[in-house]
Amino acid sequence: MQKVKIILNKKEAPGIFLMGLDVGKEYTKKCSPGQFVRLKAWDSFDPLVPRPFTIHAVKDERLYILYQVRGKGTRFLCRMEPGEEVEISPPMGNAFPQLKDYVLCAGGVGSAGFGFLLQEAERGSYPLPKKFYYAARTGELLARAQFFQNFSVPLALITEDGSLGKKGLITDVLKEELKEERPGAILACGPLPMLKAVAKLGEELGIKVHVVLETFLACGEGFCMGCVIPLKNGKYAYLCKTGPTFPAEEIDFERL
Amino acid sequence: MKDYSRNFLFYPPLALASGTWGLGENLFKYYSPAEVKETFGVLVTKGISLKPRIGNLPPRIWETPCGLINSIGLANPGVKEFKKIFLTGLLKTEVKIFVNLYGEEIEDFVALAEEFKGTGVSGLELNISCPNVKKGGIAFASQPEVVKELVKEVRKVWEGSLWVKLSPVGPVLDVAKACESSGADAIVCANTYPGLVVIEGEKVLKGGVSGPAIKPLTLRLVYELSREVSIPIVGCGGIASAKDVLDYFVCGAKAVEIGTAFLIDPELAKKIAKELKEKWDM
Ligand SMILES: Cc1cc2nc3c(=O)[nH]c(=O)nc-3n(C[C@H](O)[C@H](O)[C@H](O)COP(=O)(O)OP(=O)(O)OC[C@H]3O[C@@H](n4cnc5c(N)ncnc54)[C@H](O)[C@@H]3O)c2cc1C
Ligand SMILES: Cc1cc2nc3c(=O)[nH]c(=O)nc-3n(C[C@H](O)[C@H](O)[C@H](O)COP(=O)(O)O)c2cc1C
Ligand code: FES
Repeated sequence: MQKVKIILNKKEAPGIFLMGLDVGKEYTKKCSPGQFVRLKAWDSFDPLVPRPFTIHAVKDERLYILYQVRGKGTRFLCRMEPGEEVEISPPMGNAFPQLKDYVLCAGGVGSAGFGFLLQEAERGSYPLPKKFYYAARTGELLARAQFFQNFSVPLALITEDGSLGKKGLITDVLKEELKEERPGAILACGPLPMLKAVAKLGEELGIKVHVVLETFLACGEGFCMGCVIPLKNGKYAYLCKTGPTFPAEEIDFERL
Repeated sequence: MKDYSRNFLFYPPLALASGTWGLGENLFKYYSPAEVKETFGVLVTKGISLKPRIGNLPPRIWETPCGLINSIGLANPGVKEFKKIFLTGLLKTEVKIFVNLYGEEIEDFVALAEEFKGTGVSGLELNISCPNVKKGGIAFASQPEVVKELVKEVRKVWEGSLWVKLSPVGPVLDVAKACESSGADAIVCANTYPGLVVIEGEKVLKGGVSGPAIKPLTLRLVYELSREVSIPIVGCGGIASAKDVLDYFVCGAKAVEIGTAFLIDPELAKKIAKELKEKWDM
C-alpha cells in the first residue's frame, strides 16, 4: 500500500461520491479498465481490511473512483478532504474482456468502471461499445450521467420511477431494444438481482453476457481463498484471481 | 529491555502463517527475493491434505470488529499437485519452508509426512486446530491422548522440525504437554477461535476468528503455556505491528507467525521486520 493525496472528494448524487487521487503517472500507466484498487483511509483496525473500488477514470497522474456510502469504510472515505492522504494498493484483478459488437449495462454505481472503459475505447485501446444502458431507481441516482454523455457512445438513461430517461427496469428496456438489433455481447455491472436478470435475458435472446461480480475481499491477491464464486461445473473461481468479470453462463447464481 | 534475540527459534523471528499467503504465487509482487529473506525466517504453507480439497461454499470470509472470520475449508490442491507445482518455487526462496498438514486420521498425517521426506522441506506444522472442517482439525485438539499418539507416529517417520499448531480452545495445556512429551520440537499458539457472524441479517457463517481482535486472548495463552511447557512456543494471533511482536516475546514466545495482517497489507511484515531490526536489534 502506498500513501497518495486526495485531490477531490465530491458528492455526485445522494450517497454517491467521486474521489480523485494523485497516484502518479507510473501508477496510472499500469491500470486497465475493469481493474480495482483497495483503499484504506483509517489508521485503526476497524474497519480492518482496505475496501475495493473499481477504477472509474484516469487522467494523466490522477485516478478516480466513484463510490456509494454503505458502511464503516465508505463513511470514513466520504469524510476525507482534498489534501489528506489515503493508502492505495496496486491495481488488482483482471481487465474487462475485449468484446466485439457489444453494449454496456450498468445499475447504480455499477457504472463506475465503464468510465475508464469508455476513455480507453475513445483512445482506441478498447473496442467502442454500441450503446450504454444506465439504470437507477431515480434520476438523481444516475451519478455522473453528464460525464458519460461526453463520450461518442449513445447513452440510454433508465429510471424505475421515470424521473429521468425511460421508465422501467433495465431488462424491460433491453428486452424491447435488443429484439430489434441483437448485439454480440453484453457487459453488465450492478446489483446481483440485476445481473441475474440480464444473464437470463441474454440466455433467452442468445446473447453472450459478461457480468462484473462482487464479494467481500479480504486480500484481493489470491492469498486468503475467501472470494469464491461457484461455477456451474461444480468448481469454484476466485473473484480476485479470475474476475471480477466472468462469463454469466459459467456462474452458478443459485449458490452465489 | 531484556535481550530476547539470543534464543529465537529461527531468524528473522517472523513467519508467515498458514493460509494467509496462498501458495506463494503473488508473494513476489510485494517482496524481492532479498526482502523475503530479510523479513521471514520461516514460511508456513496453506494446509495441505492427501487429496485435493475444493473448500467450503461462499460466504467463506467476513469482517468482524478488528478481526476476520473465515471458513475456507482447507481448500488446497492436494499433496501430489502441491509438490509438483508449488514446492519447487517455494524452496527457491531459500527461506525455511514448513508445510502445514491436515489429515482426518493419524494415518493421513503419517502418509503426508512421508511425502515430504527428502524434499528440502525444513519442517512440518501439524494442524490439529482447523475449526472449519467436519472431520479431523479441531476434533483432535479436544483429545490430548490422541494428539500424543499423533505426534509420536509422525515423529517416527519425520526427522525434520516438527511443530504442532494448537487450537486456542479445549484442554490447551494438556494438549501442549502431550506435544512436549511425544517429541514435538515446538508448539504454535494458536489457530483461530471458533466464532459466528450473521451476514446481512440472514446468512450464518461459522468460522475461525483471527486478527487484532484475538491478540489479548492468544497472548494470555502463550504466557500461561510458556510457564508450563519447556519446548519453544511460536506465538500467532493478531500481530500487526512490531510492538505486538515484542509483546509476544515478553510473554514467552520464541518466534511469531503473522497471518491476517498480511491480508490487510502484504508489506506490513516488511515494515515490522525492519522496525524490529532497527529499533530493537532483532
Ligand atoms: C472488485 C470490487 C469492486 C468494487 N467497486 C466498487 C465501486 O466502484 N464503487 C462502489 O461504490 N463500490 C464498489 N465495490 C463495493 C465496495 O467495495 C463495498 O461497498 C465496500 O467495501 C463497503 O465497505 P464499507 O466498510 O462501507 O461497508 P461495510 O461496513 O463493510 O458493509 C456495509 C454493508 O454493505 C454490505 N457489503 C459490504 N461489502 C459488500 C460487497 N462487496 N458486496 C455486497 N455487499 C457488501 C455489507 O453486508 C453490509 O450490509 C466493489 C467491490 C468489489 C469486490
Ligand atoms: C483466510 C485464512 C486461512 C487460514 N488457513 C489456515 C490453514 O490452512 N491452516 C492453519 O493451520 N491455519 C490457517 N489459518 C490460521 C492462521 O494461520 C493463524 O493461525 C490465525 O489466523 C491467527 O493469526 P492472525 O491473527 O495473525 O491471523 C487461516 C487464517 C485465515 C485468516
Ligand atoms: S480476496 Fe483473498 S483470495 Fe481473493
